[in-house]
Amino acid sequence: MAGRRETVLPAGSERLGMDGMEDQVLVRRVASGDERALSALYDRYAGLIFGSGVRYLGDRGLAEDLVQDVFTSVWRNAAGFDPARASFSTWVYRITRNQATDLIRRRKARIRTVGGDLLFETGGDDPSGELSRSFDVASALSRLSLVHREVIILAYFEGLSQSEISRRTGTPLGTVKSRTTAALRALREDLDEDRGSDDE
Amino acid sequence: MSEHPGTRNLLGPYVMGALGAQEERIVEEHLDGCAGCREEAQDLRLVHERLTDLAYATETPPPGLKDRVVAGMPHGMPYREPRRRVPPWAAVAAALCVLALLGVVFASGVSGLFAPETATTLRPTELAPGAGGELRIESSSANTQAELEAWDLPPLGEGEYYELWFGKDNGRVSAGTFTVNDEGRVTCYMTVPAETIGDYQRVGITRERFPAEPRMDDARVVLSGELRRL
Repeated sequence: MAGRRETVLPAGSERLGMDGMEDQVLVRRVASGDERALSALYDRYAGLIFGSGVRYLGDRGLAEDLVQDVFTSVWRNAAGFDPARASFSTWVYRITRNQATDLIRRRKARIRTVGGDLLFETGGDDPSGELSRSFDVASALSRLSLVHREVIILAYFEGLSQSEISRRTGTPLGTVKSRTTAALRALREDLDEDRGSDDE
Repeated sequence: MSEHPGTRNLLGPYVMGALGAQEERIVEEHLDGCAGCREEAQDLRLVHERLTDLAYATETPPPGLKDRVVAGMPHGMPYREPRRRVPPWAAVAAALCVLALLGVVFASGVSGLFAPETATTLRPTELAPGAGGELRIESSSANTQAELEAWDLPPLGEGEYYELWFGKDNGRVSAGTFTVNDEGRVTCYMTVPAETIGDYQRVGITRERFPAEPRMDDARVVLSGELRRL
């Protein structure tokens, strides 16, 4: 529950009504040249892509390049995204993996091994599936209602206790606890559905 | 499980290890005797682990990276596969197919394959003399989509973009942004609010410059039109 991400609810995309938009709607807007739809997707996935880059490439500069390359690829290929073939989170995970492999190949970067897995060097599958699942969870998180997302973000990404969330949001402690339970439950149902549709 | 709402509402913080000792003990005593809640706690624990993995894998990108990424996209519309030239024989064959299909459509009494419900012809303001456009809106069970085609719009400078708006007497809504090619042309599809069919009467396209706040302002409108039901 380390506090790693500062972005809670991206103000810009919320103002534009994009905060609750599904990934595939945003991608379609990106395909029509809407930069703010790209901005909303950045808010959802850039932290995970950057974190993956730092973790697997072992270099913050390369991780920044990875974020840039992934979103350039999303921008260029959005028109070809087919939601019938895979979810957006699966698609952007594959792009991340491929771009990271390219970065390593191009720059002959020294990569750090994590548990002996040279994930991006080989371009192979995510050995434990952990990173791929994290993209799915990031996507599911964006589909939660605002109040549910708020308690999850504050707990997992800002490391707040239930009492601290209560004080920060001005919500009774009992409500924070039941809302946290409801949010986890909603995520579980969403992830079950997501897994079902990607399996098809 | 519905007879244990109090305990059940604590299962989230319980699997996160976020309860005080007393509440944790109450939940554990309940779980000892309730298979349903035990099963739910197991499911929630899995979600908790996935969120922990996500938090672990996520790191805040440096400030400024987002601006560089979004503003650094290749200018103009995203890349699309170029349209292939159609050989003359294929064009004739396609035309015959269309005529045959239309014959079937009319014979069966179907009103049409693409049936926009609202449309407008976009007229230029003095900010874009010579420009023009067409906007068609159609809805399906899933969403409402606008097809915009515009031409001879002024080329955009660094950080500029066009924004499509729908207006009515007491409000307006943005439907998205777009850029144009070197000839000032654009054809794009946007998902728009369902209320645009019926509730909104006017359409405007403004020229905006990042990072200024976009506004449906007469001083910025380059194309406008009145929506009409078809």
